[in-house]
Amino acid sequence: MTEARIHDRGYMAYDGPRHGPGRAMANLSYHTVQRVLGLKRSNWQKVLPAIALLISFIPAIVFIGIAAFLPRGDELGLESSADYYGFITGALFLFAAFVAPEAVCTDRRSGMLGLYLASPLSRDTYLVAKAAAIAAVLGTMTLGPPILMLIAYTLADAGPDGVTGWLTELGRILASGTALAVFWTALSLAVSSLTARRSLASVGIFVGLLASSAVGDGLAEGAQMGDSYALFNLIGLPFEAVYRIFGEVNGEGPPIGDVDTWAIFAALVGLIAAFGAFARWRYQRIEVAG
Amino acid sequence: MSDIVISARGVQKSYGSNHVLQGLNCEVGKGITGLLGPNGAGKSTFMGLVLGLRPRQGGELNVLGVDPDRSGPELRTRLGYAPEHHDLPGDVQAADLVRHIAQLHGLPRRVATERASNALWQVGLGEERFRPIGTMSTGQRQRVKMAQALAHDPDLLLLDEPTDGLDPVQRDDMLALIRRVGSEFGIDILLSSHLLEEVERVCDSVVILANGMVGHSGTLQDLGAAASGFKVELDSDPEPLAAALVARGVAAAVDGHSLIVSGVDSASDLIRDLVADLGLGLRRLEPRRTTLEDVFIEASQ
Repeated sequence: MTEARIHDRGYMAYDGPRHGPGRAMANLSYHTVQRVLGLKRSNWQKVLPAIALLISFIPAIVFIGIAAFLPRGDELGLESSADYYGFITGALFLFAAFVAPEAVCTDRRSGMLGLYLASPLSRDTYLVAKAAAIAAVLGTMTLGPPILMLIAYTLADAGPDGVTGWLTELGRILASGTALAVFWTALSLAVSSLTARRSLASVGIFVGLLASSAVGDGLAEGAQMGDSYALFNLIGLPFEAVYRIFGEVNGEGPPIGDVDTWAIFAALVGLIAAFGAFARWRYQRIEVAG
Repeated sequence: MSDIVISARGVQKSYGSNHVLQGLNCEVGKGITGLLGPNGAGKSTFMGLVLGLRPRQGGELNVLGVDPDRSGPELRTRLGYAPEHHDLPGDVQAADLVRHIAQLHGLPRRVATERASNALWQVGLGEERFRPIGTMSTGQRQRVKMAQALAHDPDLLLLDEPTDGLDPVQRDDMLALIRRVGSEFGIDILLSSHLLEEVERVCDSVVILANGMVGHSGTLQDLGAAASGFKVELDSDPEPLAAALVARGVAAAVDGHSLIVSGVDSASDLIRDLVADLGLGLRRLEPRRTTLEDVFIEASQ
């Protein structure tokens, strides 16, 4: 008996169900997360995101390890969950400046943006999907370790007192982690929207952050123009906001430590809105086909 | 179902003071339609409007029965688009890219995977489908673009300079593929090109843009039948024959070594007799055909 094979099935029409733009956004976000994490790419592309994730999780694992071995009730090394974000500043900076631009710059450079916008995605839904992908990874870094520690500390009988205290702590962690993830996402997207070259975006974010820090602190402290000028410090502002969410003030951070809490929150929200609006404005003007 | 795929009435589009489309009117029917025009004529801009990537400033545009400005996302699920100058990400496998784009057009993941594979087979990249795009030749990349535009089974395929950068053999292959997609697959195609020969080879109809307006539109069959008269080639100066024809009330004009006799379809016997009477050597006597090049030049001017 001879084996029969179909060599060419020909072109087949498709009459089945089709998902809408919402599923397209989810698909693009998923694809972008894979891309920025270097999945299905060379090992070299996995190095920076892996380092960023490791830096953000290793302190939590160390603290949990310490909690496991110390007698119950002993000091565990962190006075507040807000302190944890000091350990992962470098990871957030590394990811926002050197990994996140991959999410959008490469699409423009390779022309994928044209293909995306020729799909059911619009410029706005494309940008939202990209922002969601970056925020999801940053959120893993800002929310994952503190939540892991909260659970571990609770199991080690070193967590917050009572259900109310525990829920308050969880709420503050969620608020802080979300605020940081959204801020760094908006900043990264805004700068990346200026260029199709990932390296230029990275340099822009790096230099911009350092310059903002120098200008903000220089005006507030050096030129004695007033504490509120410290709000221009884009490195210090989001972390000060985290302390305020926990009802504290960052002791290491004058002059921003002397700024009113409402001004800190207003500046953070304003900057996120401004970065988001700028990125949107840029993407409305980027030429693709036509 | 309507035979009109794209209908444009007075479509206007400007970029600042540059009026790219100035009241464009055309109808694109089923089959393969060539969108011709010199650089800067507005071909890519028109494609962008058809895709709903840009709002127009005036006029009416209807694509597959809907207005791209109002229903862009819904319309684009039914469109396939292969852009011109795009490199595509080099580190992504062809099958992954095609599947990803098919999913964006609404196909469930399993279906998208199957159809991506099938589309790559159809464009001749079946064996190469798991190769990173960066390792592919220009011709193969153009085929990947075609596959990603086809995988979700669009009703209308927009191809922007699909043979750009291809060598003659690859170009022939690509044109054959386009013809196959338009005929066997039953997908309507709008093919933007500045190469007349390509359009003549694969298209059923043509829309010629010039200075932001439609210079000519119609089927290639009508184009060929549009002209009347004869083209005469002699082995000597055609002036005496031209003078003899004019003297008998037949319009004739010298065009280099040829003579264009226009307006009279029954003049072949007269031409033959005059050539014999004048003792001229006749090399060719053929019905005059309007070529796409003639129309293109006329429209461009």
